[in-house]
Order: sequence, then C-alpha cells, then structure tokens
Amino acid sequence: MRSLLLLWSLAPLAWQLYTSFVTPEALIQGAGMAAGSFWTLENYRQVWLADPPIWRYLLNSAVVGAATTALTLALAVPCAYGLQRQGGRLRWAVTLTLLATAIFPTVLLFLALLQLARSLGLANNLLALSLPYAALCLPLAVLLLRAAFADLPPELEDAARLEGLNLARRLQHVLLPLLAPSLASTAILVFLFSWNEYPIALTWISRPELQTLPPAIARIAGSSLFTVPYGAFAAATVLGSLPLLLIVLIFQRSIVSGLTQGAIKG
Amino acid sequence: MKGFPMNTSLVNTLLMLPALLLLAIVFAWPLLDSAWLSTQASSVLTGLAPTANGGANWQRLLGDARFWQDAAGTLRFAVVSVGLELVLGLAMALVLHRPGRGRGWLRALALLPWALPSTVLALGWRWIYNDPYGPLNSLLKLFGAPAYGFLTTPATTWLFTVLADVWKTTPFVALLLLAGLQSIPAELEESLVLEGASPSQILRRLTLPLLRPWISLALMFRLAQALGVFELVQVLTRGGPAGSTESLALYAYLNAMRFLDFGYSATLVVATFLLLLLLTAMGWLLLRRRPLEISR
Repeated sequence: MRSLLLLWSLAPLAWQLYTSFVTPEALIQGAGMAAGSFWTLENYRQVWLADPPIWRYLLNSAVVGAATTALTLALAVPCAYGLQRQGGRLRWAVTLTLLATAIFPTVLLFLALLQLARSLGLANNLLALSLPYAALCLPLAVLLLRAAFADLPPELEDAARLEGLNLARRLQHVLLPLLAPSLASTAILVFLFSWNEYPIALTWISRPELQTLPPAIARIAGSSLFTVPYGAFAAATVLGSLPLLLIVLIFQRSIVSGLTQGAIKG
Repeated sequence: MKGFPMNTSLVNTLLMLPALLLLAIVFAWPLLDSAWLSTQASSVLTGLAPTANGGANWQRLLGDARFWQDAAGTLRFAVVSVGLELVLGLAMALVLHRPGRGRGWLRALALLPWALPSTVLALGWRWIYNDPYGPLNSLLKLFGAPAYGFLTTPATTWLFTVLADVWKTTPFVALLLLAGLQSIPAELEESLVLEGASPSQILRRLTLPLLRPWISLALMFRLAQALGVFELVQVLTRGGPAGSTESLALYAYLNAMRFLDFGYSATLVVATFLLLLLLTAMGWLLLRRRPLEISR
C-alpha cells in the first residue's frame, strides 16, 4: 500500500526531474537509446540565463513570502489571543466569519482587488502583494493559533499578570515562547500559500522582472519561448519546486502536526 | 497597568480589530464592489468608466450559452473531483495513519503534490499528457496502441483535468481525515477487534461515523475551492479544446483581462459566488440533518 501511495504521489514529479536532465532527442526517441549525449544540463542553463532569469522569480517569491508571513503573524497572534479570551456572541460570529473566509475561493476576489490596487497605486509593487495575501491566510492562521492558545494552562497567564506583566510582556515573555511550535507550523503554511498564490499575483504584477514564480511559469508556458519537448519547462518546474520540497521535508513534522492539531481543536 | 483591564471584552475586540479590518477590505469589499459593478456597463465601449445599465449584464448572463456551458462544466468538474478526492483521501489517510517505520517521511512525500504551486504542476501535467511525446503516450505506444490526444479531445479532456486536480489535492483531504483518525481513541478499535470485527466492519461501524465531521469539513472546503478552479485549467488546457474545460472563474478572468468588459466580468464573479453559496448551503443542510450515529 505504501509503495502504491509513493508511486502515485511521486511518479509525476520524478518524470519532471528526469525530463529536466535529458536532451530533447532522448525525450522524443524514448529512453531506449543509450547515446553518450543522453544526459544534459542545457535545460538548466537555458532557464538560469533567460531574461529575466529564473532566480529572479524565486527571489521575488521569497521576498513576498517573508513579508506575508511576518504580516500575517503580526495580525493573527493578537486576534487569536483576543478570540480565545472572548466569549459569547462575538466569539461565535468571529469564528463563523473565519470559517467562511477560510473556504472562500480566492479567484472570485481578483477583479475588485485589482481595481483597489490600481486606485491605491499598489500595482507592480511586490511588497504590496503581502496585504491581500495576509488577509487570505488570516482565517487559517487565527484558527490554528487560537487552538494553540486554548492549550496553554490559564494559571500561567494569571501568574504572569500577578507579577505585574502587561499584555505585551505576557505575550512576549510567557505565552509566545510556549507557542513556538504552533507559530512555526502556521508560518510555514502561510509561506507555502504565498509561494503558490496565482490569480492576484497574475493581475497585480505586470512587469516580468517583478513577477513571482507561479505567474512567471504560466507566462513562460503561454509563450513559445521553449517549445516541445519541455526540457526547459521541466528545469523551471524543478527549480521552482526545490525550495518547497526542502521546506516540506525539513518541517514535515510541523506541517502535519500543525494542520492536524489545528483541525482537531479548531 | 496592574490587575485586570477595565473591560476585557473591549480589549479583546481591539486585539481582533486589525485582522478583522483587513478581512473586511479583502473579502467583504470586493464582493460588494463586484455586486455593484455587475449593474454597470464598464467596458471599452464606455471607456472603462462605469455607467449604470440596469440589469443588462444579468439579462445577458441568462441568455449566454457560454456561461451555462461553463457553469455546468465547472459543476461537473467540482462534483467528480471532490467525490474522487474524498474516496482516495480516505484510503490515503488510512495508509498514513498505520504505524510503521518512516511514517513521517511517508507523510511528507505524500503531501508534496499539495505543497507545490498549481501552475508549476499544471505545466508538468501538460507534458505528461503531451501528444505524441508525453510519457502516457509512450506507454500507449509500448502496448501498441495509437497516440491519444489527452488535451485535444473535447469529449474527454475534462476527465484529465479532474485527474490532475485529484492528484494535487487528495493529500490535503487525506491530511484532514488523518486529523480525524488521530482523534479516534485506539481503545474503541481494540474493543471491536476483540469482538471479532473485520477491518471493513470496523471501517463501516466505527471509523466512518466518527470521521463524519472531518469528511464534512473536507467536502465543504474542497467543493468551494473546486468551484473556483482557475490556474489548473488556465495553464493545462486554457479552457480548451473548444471551450470544453473553461471554468466560470476563467471566463470571468477572460472577460476582465482579455475582453476588457469589467461589468460583465463582475456579473460572472457574483453569479459564481451565488452558485457557491447555494451549493455549500445545500451541502451543509444535507450533512447537518443526518444525526451522528454509530451503527452496529
């Protein structure tokens, strides 16, 4: 069962990896031929030296991802804390709003957000992307962090309060250090979202050198820059996936436990 | 400031306010703005300036065969994809739940398709489906079958967009259901085993009934996302062949960005939203009515 699952999940990815390292002739004639010029780095050279080069998109995505993660956590931590302490109708209303926005498909917002960006002069501004991104990540982030706050024993904060620590200090010195694992898994999920977001990045950014990875890949796919058989495409997809591959493999425990724990308690 | 704040509720509200404000700007305002814009003519003809045109956009929508075709196609895509994802996601969750060496790595690798960008993966699938050089056609050739136009046969291309979507999002469903499985006390299963229940009986009597809340959550989430499917079809098929895989979101996007008809694009956005609302409300009522029970 396990090998079947791995085959299902990894075979399409393995095929990309293979494609990125072989010559066009090898792809067309099939893997049977064993010529000396079978393997090649030419595909990678092509995307690395393209204009703009692929590392530019990776850099842009990383910048937006970092800004989005910081902004989301800065807004989500106080919100989750307030929501956890709040009772009654307001708590119910906010939770319901968060659930509704969490399942909402982003693509339905692109048109109005584009107009907003244009009227505020935010188009073609890489960092401005983190504003809508943070909003789109907030529902999940708040729900996950609220569940984490709920896990902390209330006596802990009471004790800190009796020590005379104000709210900011209680959060900084007592609560947040204990929440580090939940903060980390939330941050990773936000970063993943930001790295992968497409419709807003596509419509807000029109200058190629400012594009994040997903619209850049789609643009390359739409142009005839690289033709069949896809060697350069595959190289671009491998390079674009590599950072996420590393994140998922390094933080797999955080991601899985973050999502599952949040879902259980949320 | 020592002791309790004067009014805890006020402090809580203030703490939540920045996040709620941003949510209002990014979710509520666009919907209201689109609803308003759907009553306006705003296209190249009006110099992109909004001018009230009564219900002309909505009248056009009702008579627009392309809209109805896209709506039916999007619905078909969503129902089939989400149905398959729930079944496969449950199977995947059961495999990932079983104890064993390297379970963490297995989970991470199974999760990969979900974590990678949709556009990147859609491009990958375009190559896998490529006619005649893609690996699927190479396989067909191996068996002596003629090459098949996976992305060029109007009657069947939607099935291959479903496959690509199922491949990418099943891990997410599996992860949610895994959370559900972890919340089921092991003693319950052990007691059923002692009673001599077979694995399939345990699944039907214990696991599925207790997983219901998680199945509902996954269903609602995936249904909403699938009804808004956009990048997958835009990159994989561009809505083709012959418009057979065009989704509502893609049609709305094309109206705004290619035909520069913002009024009609807004109408399509609002129509898609209403369809979504209707379906999730129906799903919610349906799931809510049947009480949770452990059948024996």
